[in-house]
Order: sequence, then structure tokens, then C-alpha cells
Amino acid sequence: MGRGGISIIRMSGKLSKNIAETMCGELAEARSFKRCSIKSRSGSKIDDGMVVFFNSPNSYTGDDVVEFHCHGNPTIVNLVIEEAVYLGAVVAEPGEFTKTAFLNEKIDLVQAESVADLINAQSETAVVAANSSLSGEFSKQINLLLDGILKARVVVEANIDFPEEEIDVSALESIKEMLQGFHAEISELLSRIKEGIKLRDGYSVAIVGPPNAGKSSLLNLLAREDLAITSEVPGTTRDLVKTSVNIGGTLIEFVDTAGVRHDPEGPIEEEGIQRSKEAIKKSNLSLLVQDATAIQRFDVGLGAFLTVLNKSDLLEGEFSNEENTFYLSCSTGKGVEELLKALITRLEIDGGEETVFLSRQRHEISLRSGGLFLEEAIISLGEGQALELVAESLRSAHSALGDILRPMSADDLLGEIFSEFCIGK
Amino acid sequence: MDKYDVIVIGGGHAGVEAAEACSRFGVKTLLITHDKSKIGEMSCNPAIGGIGKSHLAKEVDALGGLMAKATDKAGIHYRVLNSAKGQAVRATRVQTDRELYKTAIQKFLSSSPNLKIKEGSVVDLDIKNSAIQSVLTERGEKIFSNSVILTTGTFLGGVMHTGLEQSSGGRTGDPSSDKLAQKLRGLNLKVGRLKTGTPPRLDKHSIDWSLLSPQPGDTPTPLLSYTSQASERPAQLNCYMTRTNPKTHQVILNHLDKSPMYSGVIEGVGPRYCPSIEDKVMRFAERDSHQIFAEPEGLNSDLIYPNGISTSLPLKAQKELIKSIRGFENAKIVRPGYAIEYDFFDPTGLKHSLETKAISGLFFAGQINGTTGYEEAAAQGIMAGINASLLVTNQEAFELQRDEAYIGVLIDDLVSLGTKEPYRMFTSRAEYRLILREDNADMRLTEKGRKLGIVSDLLWQKYQDKKNATTKEMLRLKKDKLKPNSPAAKKIKKQTGEDISKNISLFEMLKRPKVLHSHLPQGEIILAPNAVDEIEASVKYEGYIKRQKIDIERLQKNENTPIPEHIDYEKVVGLSNEAKQKLSEARPGSLARASRLPGVTPAAISLLMIYLKKERRAVG
Repeated sequence: MGRGGISIIRMSGKLSKNIAETMCGELAEARSFKRCSIKSRSGSKIDDGMVVFFNSPNSYTGDDVVEFHCHGNPTIVNLVIEEAVYLGAVVAEPGEFTKTAFLNEKIDLVQAESVADLINAQSETAVVAANSSLSGEFSKQINLLLDGILKARVVVEANIDFPEEEIDVSALESIKEMLQGFHAEISELLSRIKEGIKLRDGYSVAIVGPPNAGKSSLLNLLAREDLAITSEVPGTTRDLVKTSVNIGGTLIEFVDTAGVRHDPEGPIEEEGIQRSKEAIKKSNLSLLVQDATAIQRFDVGLGAFLTVLNKSDLLEGEFSNEENTFYLSCSTGKGVEELLKALITRLEIDGGEETVFLSRQRHEISLRSGGLFLEEAIISLGEGQALELVAESLRSAHSALGDILRPMSADDLLGEIFSEFCIGK
Repeated sequence: MDKYDVIVIGGGHAGVEAAEACSRFGVKTLLITHDKSKIGEMSCNPAIGGIGKSHLAKEVDALGGLMAKATDKAGIHYRVLNSAKGQAVRATRVQTDRELYKTAIQKFLSSSPNLKIKEGSVVDLDIKNSAIQSVLTERGEKIFSNSVILTTGTFLGGVMHTGLEQSSGGRTGDPSSDKLAQKLRGLNLKVGRLKTGTPPRLDKHSIDWSLLSPQPGDTPTPLLSYTSQASERPAQLNCYMTRTNPKTHQVILNHLDKSPMYSGVIEGVGPRYCPSIEDKVMRFAERDSHQIFAEPEGLNSDLIYPNGISTSLPLKAQKELIKSIRGFENAKIVRPGYAIEYDFFDPTGLKHSLETKAISGLFFAGQINGTTGYEEAAAQGIMAGINASLLVTNQEAFELQRDEAYIGVLIDDLVSLGTKEPYRMFTSRAEYRLILREDNADMRLTEKGRKLGIVSDLLWQKYQDKKNATTKEMLRLKKDKLKPNSPAAKKIKKQTGEDISKNISLFEMLKRPKVLHSHLPQGEIILAPNAVDEIEASVKYEGYIKRQKIDIERLQKNENTPIPEHIDYEKVVGLSNEAKQKLSEARPGSLARASRLPGVTPAAISLLMIYLKKERRAVG
């Protein structure tokens, strides 16, 4: 997938043929392409493309597989995925196709371990991507939506489960308006995603160490521009200097900090040290920079960190990197590649672009299907459908959005109902 | 030597269904209880059903159980709750005559072919090599069985509180099973403590009924059981309603320091829903009134159960409280309300068959597992009975999935997640609520019950008749068309306001929210009311049910992938420590069950899948 001329969307599993036929009409015989219009449930055309069916077990995963070949436009790709999801498909988990292939004995035993590793690595990244690094604004919006939908569900479910308990029925009347508001917010959010609002924040790495070890030089080397003031006077950097660097497709923010000496010589430095500690706390990883020729004690708590021994060009003889220790020279630039590689591994962003793309994709799809289910609930309310159908749509909407941020169990929901209403005999 | 295939200890709603299921199954069964005359006793309010609960009662009925049948022989006030909503959330609630109910249950048991009932108290269990061997009664009798079902309800370590006074016991007038409790505490089972309460009982003649508002039952009067006849029902009565008021609430606040719940005497955990009037007044201070249903305990009983004011305040305060309520000004308290604290066994120590993981052949059912409610108890009872019978006949356990029955939801919730409060069924616990309805419990379960050999010929016949009739009717609805301007179309327009602009099948017409089956031109087949409900539900919910079925199908593979009992989770590559710990503790029987454990992520399930596959390949 991506922005190429043609995008291929692959769907695996027993239902894939059924879903594809709903979207594209009857499929051609197995392994033959068919030109088709890909249609949405309202009957409108999403795209003209091709569809091909691989019957089980003669497919990559060993299950029935359908491939949609459509124009390589992210909007179209999203619409196709969204439609399939509406019809019962789910966006694949990291490594899921490979896993299925293994379970169906399309891949041999030797590869099993690597599949396990893949799933593990990718899901860790996905979790990071899905939680800690969601951009503040995006996750705030999702949280608000989740709270709102929960409120609506509490009212609806309380009316269903406790008809004898004097639940305020008038609350039900305001639900439709509430849901319309949420639906509008989702549409707004989706259009802002299209305009490029950040779904996720990048990673943050703090650069720390004793004074004059070359922290600012390292930052400059990484950013390849002079952002921080460097000088021979120890303790020059008093404020935090931040710069974002795109490494392997992921934005990493480096935060340069003041050097920490054991006996700070004035109030300014004290303040700078406090800020360093804050920066360490907020970062995913720290780089402890030491002067290789004069290693000093460094007692500030670091969490996860790598040690960088700067000025290694001044050392006599050859030294080789150890697991978490890297020799580097900011003046010659030697060793920086190895350090970057290690950074990527440690930040677990080596799942690469697929993971990042998929998790972004999944958020967007979840948001879209959340919107669809809300729409369904609104229509049901308008048509005077039975309340349990409204409840069903709301449950689906809640679970779609919950996938992004925080899933909610039936018991959590009951807890909310009990705290809201006086229930019980 | 006294030996039985299955021994059931306890004659409450769980014990009754368990013993009867074993007997129907055809194994030699013994029911041991303190007091034969109390078998089938309703120790709390005399009502069966309600949202979520009637679903359970009907499921028990569809498997051939007793609860719904006995209810129909004792029901004196029937209502269908949520009748304005759709079928999935409609629920029958029945006020019963306590005596008639008990009599009906006892009569069913006395004619049960393979069942013997014995009065006595079990004081010890003989366990060898982690397997149950025999039970010992207080008279020193040793009775052998490799399958024992414990349904001792709140009798284990029960302490009753009225105000700050305490007494030990499971129910007013009954001793608590302390010796057995001690024995069980010594086993490798996790014990927790819960609390529940009841309101004071009032003398019927001391209430001024003219000040209460009457609540008539529904007409036509429904039935709870699939096999009952209307003629079995006793006469119908009204229920009555009154309310608490600010004066009542003041009385409660004045005496709060003497409430064991609020003075810290009770350590057991109560439910998040309000169990007592003290809770209601404290937690919802902004409300100055709560409703009370004055429920008759029976046709010939002088007792009234004021549902809604369960309390553990001292008797003096209870008297003041009652006097403050409209219609109860001169009411006499026959028996004070009380709170009861009791032990339960953490149900995560059970398999889905309700057999304990620690001791083979020992089953737990009912309140002992942390549930509340007669229906929840009955549901577990019948399942424990079936599984104990299957165990002694060397057959595989019978389990119901979450998409098959509320029974499945109940047991899976308990066994997978445990409970922190008395567990009560609500429809919002069921993710497949639209499929699990009152009207189709027989369609979902009766065939399974018949295969087990526990469904009577009568129920089987009724089930087949209904199935044939609904199948035929569905065909007709799809085939027959309504034409615009036809008399039938005009009639529908008049009744529902729905326009018919082109030819439309009856099926499509029925999908419209305002159209009911009764609005459509009728066929030749005469349909029972629950068959009509089933048809309406399956038509109106069609799209949603399709979606739920896709969900179910997706999970099916995981439901059907067993996890070996003795799997070493340490060996599963890549599992997080949290997942390892959760899985090792819970030891789920299938991948799907593993996936429902909190802390077990989709990635963990994938890793587990790969591990299991690898193991199988290595063996194969």
C-alpha cells in the first residue's frame, strides 16, 4: 500500500469471498482477475478496479483470499477497507497474514519462531504507536468521544435493563442530539486527519551527561544544523534545546539538556538540572554522553539509556561498541550510524513503516466505523426502532473507538450505570 | 455400602435443578438437605424472572428444568417488562406464592425416577488424590460418590446482622454449615466474602391498602414455561406500590451509626447496585423518594414483602422507618430485615463444567460461586447436574457458549473473570443480546437437552411443533406479496400509517418498525405467541443478527481450539510476564476463553496459537 499507482488490498478468511461479492458482484473463477466497480452499501461507486479470488488452500494464507486492486489514492483505499469492515472484516493485526499462513501449514516449522518474533516486535511497536505516542490532541478528542458515547450508552442500557427503576426517560430524548454531535465531531476529526493532523507524536530522546561532554555537539550532528550554542566553557546549555529528526520515517525529538555537575555553582544551573530531570522523565530513552577521555560520575536517574562515548577520535587504539555503549566522535562524525541503528532498535520502531502505516490506518478505520455505527444509531432513533437496536449500534460504535484508546467491558458499563442511577431492590 | 452416582448437597434452587437434571439424565442421585420441608424455599422475595433473569429461567426450562414449570403453578401476578421494546429485552416477571412454589418443586422431585432425598447435614468430605470419594453426615454415615455437587448457598460461614446484633446462620431459623465451611476453607480454594440483605416482612392486615397504588398483572397473562398450560396457574392478584419520603430518609440518617454496613462491622463486599435502603439514601442523597413494591408472599399468606427497602438497621429503627411510609403507618413488622454476610468460593477456581479445578468430581453451583438470584442459581444447578452426570458416565463436559445462552454468559463471566460483588444477570452482559431471547430459548437449547436425554417428550413435541410452524410461516412471509391498494395494504396503512407503493413481500413489510405480525394477512398456520415473537424478532433483527453471526464465526475457531490443561506458559515464546501470569492462574480451556481474560492481548493470543500449532505439529 502507499501512494503508488495501484494499491492492493488483501482480505483473508472464510467470509472474504462473501464480502467481496457484496462489494464487487460475482467474482471470476479462482486466480482470474475481474474488472469491476467497487461499490459501497449505498450502491455508490468507490472505484473502478480489479478483483481476484484465491481459493483455500491455494493462497498465501491458506484461507480464501481476495485481492482488490484499486487506484493508489489513500482516500479510495480507506473507503474500500471501510466498506469491507462494515461488512464484517477486521483490519489485520501485525503479522496476522504470516501467522495465518503458518497455522494453515503454508510456512514450515523453522519459520515459526521468526513469526512469533515478528508478532511480538510489531505488536509492541503497535502498542506504543497506539497508546503512548498518540498525539495529545487526537487522543484527547477520542477520549471525549468515548466519554460521550459511554454516557449515551449508560442511559440507553439503564432504560433496557432497569425498566422498573424509575430511570429518567427524558434523558433518552436528548440522546439523538447528543449522537448527532458526536457524529459531527468524528467527521470533523476525519477531515482534519486528511489535512494532515498528527495522529501520533514521535518519540523523545533526552541527551544528558556531565558538562562539556559534547551533548550539544551530538545534537548538532544529529540535526546537522547548529541549534544549540556550543562552546568550550562547561555548562553553556542552560535551557532545553529541542530538535526533531526524521529517522527511518519516524520523527524523533532530541532534547539537549544542561550538563549535570555534582556541585552546581549557582541558581541558574540548579534550575537547568531540574529541567533535565523533567526531560529525562518525559523521554522514551536517554543518551548519556561522556567524554571518552575523561569519564565522570553521573548520578541522575536515567531509566532506559544508551551510553555515548564522545571524542573517541582522541583515544589511542581501537575500541569496539558494546551492547549499550557506543564510541563516537562528534567532530569526525564517526560512529553516528551505529548509534542511530541502535536507537531505532531500542525505540522498537524497526517494525518499520508497515507498522506505523497500519496503526495509523487502523485508527482511521476505527474512527470511520465508529462514525458509521453512530449514524446507524441516529437513523434507528429517527425511525422509532426498538431501543435494543440503538443499543447495539452504540455498542459497536463504542467498541470501534475503544479499539483506538481504551476498550470497555460490559462490567465497566454496569459500573457506570450503577454510579449514575439508583438501582436495586 | 451406601453409594450414589451423584450426591447433591443443598436443596435450594441450584440443588433442586442439579439433582433433578441428574435424575432425568438417568444416574443414581442423592439429595442431602437440612430440612426436606424447605426444599425449593424462596428465601428472598417471592418472584421469579425479570430482565436477564427470565431469560435464564426459560433456558433452564428449555433444557427440561423445573423452575419455570413450578413458577407457573405458583404465579399470582405476571408482567412482561419492556413490552414496548423489542423481543430481545422483553422479560417476564412473575410474583409467586411461596408455598405453592415450594410444593410444586417438592412434588416434581418426589416423582423423579432416580432421585433419593435425605435429611441430614454434611460435615466432612473425603478427598483422596485430589478426587472426591465420599461425604460424611453429622450422624456419622459415610456415603460414597465420585461426583458431588455443593449448592450450600449462603450457609457457609453465614453471619446475620440486625443492627449491631449478630447471629450465625444462613437464613432466619436455619443453622449455618460451620463444620463444612471449616473443611472447605482447608482445601486449596480461594474464599471471598459477600453480603446481601432483605427487608422486614409486614403483616398484610396492618397495611392500609387504600393508600397504595395497585399494579395489576398483564392481560392476557403470559406463562413462563414452554410446556405449562394456563389452567395450571392459580388465581391472579394485584401488587401494590408506595414510596419512601423525606421523613423515611431522615429516620435512616438518624440511625446510620447503628447500621452494620455503615459502622464498619460488615467486611463483605456488597454490590455496586444499591442493596439496601441505607445505600440508596446515602448514595443518591438528591432523591427524596424511592419506590417500594408491596409484594404478597402468597394467596393465603399474611406476609407482605416490601421490595425496595432491604435494611440491616436495628429493629427499633426499622419500626420507625416503616411507620413513616404512606400506607404502612400502622404496619406491623412480623420479621425484621437483616443483612447477611457469607463465604463464597472464587469461581475462577472452577472449570466451565462447574467442576472445581482443584478437586476432581467436586462441583459448585449457585450462591456459593458468588452469584445472587434464584435464576442464576438454577442455571448453574442444571449445568452442574448435567456435567456431574456426564463425568460419572465418562463423557465429555457440556458447555454453552456466550452466543448460545445467558447460561453460557453467566458461567463464562464467573469462571473467566470471577466476581467482586454478588453477580446478577443483566442483558447488557451479553454481547449477543439480540440472539439470546426469551422467545427462542427452546430453539437454542432444546435439541441439545434432548441429546443429553434430559428433555421430556412433551417439551420435545412442543419444540418440534413450534419449529415446523415457524419455518413454514417464514416461507410464507417471504413468498406472499402485498400489492399497493389491496384491501390488506389499506388495512395496514390504517393500522400503522405505513404506505405500500409497490409490491412488497410480507417479510420486507414486517421489517418496518411499526409493523407487527398481527398487522399482516394471516396464513393457515396457527402460531403460539412465542412463535410469533420469534418470527418478528428474527425478521426485525435480521441485519444485526447477521453482523453478530459474523462476529461469532470469527471467534468460533478460537472457541474450538482447546488449550491443553497442563500447558507450560513459560515455554510460549514472546509472552509478556503479565500474560503468562494471568494465563497460568486462569488456565483457560480454549483460545477464545484465553482472549477474554483481562491482560491477555491479541498479540498474546497469536503467540499462543503459534505455540499450540507447533506442539501439535511436533506430535503429529
